[in-house]
Amino acid sequence: MRILVVDDAMFMRRMLSDILEKGGHTVCGEASTGKEAVERYQELKPDLVTMDIIMPDMSGIEAVKEIKKFDPDAKILMVSAMGQQALVLEAVQAGAIDYVVKPFQPSRVLESIERLVKK
Amino acid sequence: MENYLDLFISEVETYIETLNKNLLKLEKNHEDREAVLEVFRIFHTIKGMSQAMGYDTLGQITHRLEDLISAPKEEGRINPELVDFLFLAVDYLTDFIHALKEKKELPSGTEILEHIEKVARGEMVETLRERHRARSINEIRIKTEKLDRLFNLTNELMIQRSRLLHISQEIGNSELTTVVETSARFISALQDEVMRLRMLPLSTVFDFFPRLIRDEAKRQGKRVNFEIVGADIEVDRSIIDVLKEPLLHLLRNALDHGIEKKGEITLTAVRERERIRISVADNGQGIDLAEVREKAVEKHIITPQEAQELQEKDILRIIIHPDFSTTEKVSTISGRGIGLDVVSAIVDKLGGRFELSTKKGEGTCFTLDLPLSLAIVRAMIFSLDGHRFALPLNYIQETFYAEETSFQTVYHRELYPFRDEILPLIRPGDYLNCTSNRTRKSIIVLQYQGRRRGFVTDEIIDEEEIVVKKLDALASSPYYSGCSIYADGKPILILDPRGFE
Repeated sequence: MRILVVDDAMFMRRMLSDILEKGGHTVCGEASTGKEAVERYQELKPDLVTMDIIMPDMSGIEAVKEIKKFDPDAKILMVSAMGQQALVLEAVQAGAIDYVVKPFQPSRVLESIERLVKK
Repeated sequence: MENYLDLFISEVETYIETLNKNLLKLEKNHEDREAVLEVFRIFHTIKGMSQAMGYDTLGQITHRLEDLISAPKEEGRINPELVDFLFLAVDYLTDFIHALKEKKELPSGTEILEHIEKVARGEMVETLRERHRARSINEIRIKTEKLDRLFNLTNELMIQRSRLLHISQEIGNSELTTVVETSARFISALQDEVMRLRMLPLSTVFDFFPRLIRDEAKRQGKRVNFEIVGADIEVDRSIIDVLKEPLLHLLRNALDHGIEKKGEITLTAVRERERIRISVADNGQGIDLAEVREKAVEKHIITPQEAQELQEKDILRIIIHPDFSTTEKVSTISGRGIGLDVVSAIVDKLGGRFELSTKKGEGTCFTLDLPLSLAIVRAMIFSLDGHRFALPLNYIQETFYAEETSFQTVYHRELYPFRDEILPLIRPGDYLNCTSNRTRKSIIVLQYQGRRRGFVTDEIIDEEEIVVKKLDALASSPYYSGCSIYADGKPILILDPRGFE
């Protein structure tokens, strides 16, 4: 599966990418801001997006809305540090399908992805 | 995890830079919405990263920081004290990354977490400004131990300086004298500079008070206008360290007993040459002499006869009496003394004077008159049976000659009728095992803790600035406060008059 990883911290992107690739997926692109995420989505049309919530310029939630506007079938998995549960809820209302809380266990990330694929 | 470590370090380092930049922006304009958001976001991001790396404490710290900033994030403005505190948090972060890089033990984080909880409860954390100031680019941080070492070395040099001057004067070679005098000037200048390195602005202590007064006034339902003057005056670290407690006592007193429903409290620092005068003034009702009289008699501090003669200038002596201080709160005056005996003791220990001026209906002002540094004192050098001793000048009021035959003894106590008072005499020689047959004595009139005493000495030699050194061997004796080296290179003991009571 081709996945777009969105997170403002390069460290997080690297860690997440490693987990995804070890799980047999392909990371087709990365983005570090909400705006970039929307652009990269339109350009790459990935099967799935992992989306951080708190990022510069455009929040993950805004990005979800934008992506959903462009592609109502977009599959987006929110990845957020704990303490932002309210925002996660908002993201799910905006169209995200599932969420994982940092610090994530690799198995939990991959399970969520499996579930998303089946949907 | 190891392969993520480098990435973690370099990324957090970038964040630290961005944090500092944004905090500086907020320091200038605490309503910079963008900057608040950025700070919030970075702490949040670092939190996620730390948790992923398994740095639980750092994760917890950044998590709590995020909580602290969540309200400011919504409001788009942050209070300046919180900005100050965040600088401290960034310092911790910097230390953390430094430790990671050097593969050293990670900083514990307990202190910063405690501070966070304090800030969350709305309490102030001390010395924040100070710590953060030391971070600017043109300044470096020096461990205080290193400064102390430098300071001790220059003090040794000062001692050698006096010896050199003394010796070269005895030799009388003009070439030698010129060289020695020039060197002496440089040594003094060096000493001055090093002393200045140890100086901190009074704001280090003063900054703590506005918040405290505000909270306490609110609790008591009083309206207080609190002003601070002279917070940028710098004094030696040794003074700063001990200043907080006495000032706290005085401010509490002013608030509890000086001010009734509303009023003003002013904390003022003024520098007068080598001394600093710090006063706490209120515009309340003042201390009522009649009430002090009544209370003092009731507490058996003075007799009713003495009470008759009690004047305004004697109030301080009475209210710093420990028995007066412990009075339960029964009237407007009763609690006035709480802690004043403590304040008086601290001021004495610092080589300072404690003063009071009060006027009924106009207010009360307590003043601490302190040296700028504890390391150098002006002292009077006197001799007893051929031995020399030093007495800090701050205790000394005047000196005079007297024939031993004119001393009077009442109930085994020697007294001397001096002007219009009876001066109790103390013979330090009796305690220090050096009595002489000399009958013409030099009496040094001392005042401490509200008492006046005549110190019986053989001869007054000199008045000089001496460098005080603490000697552990002397610590157990009540008679000495330290020692110094006199100009001729011989050691000289510094007496603590309070030890002879």
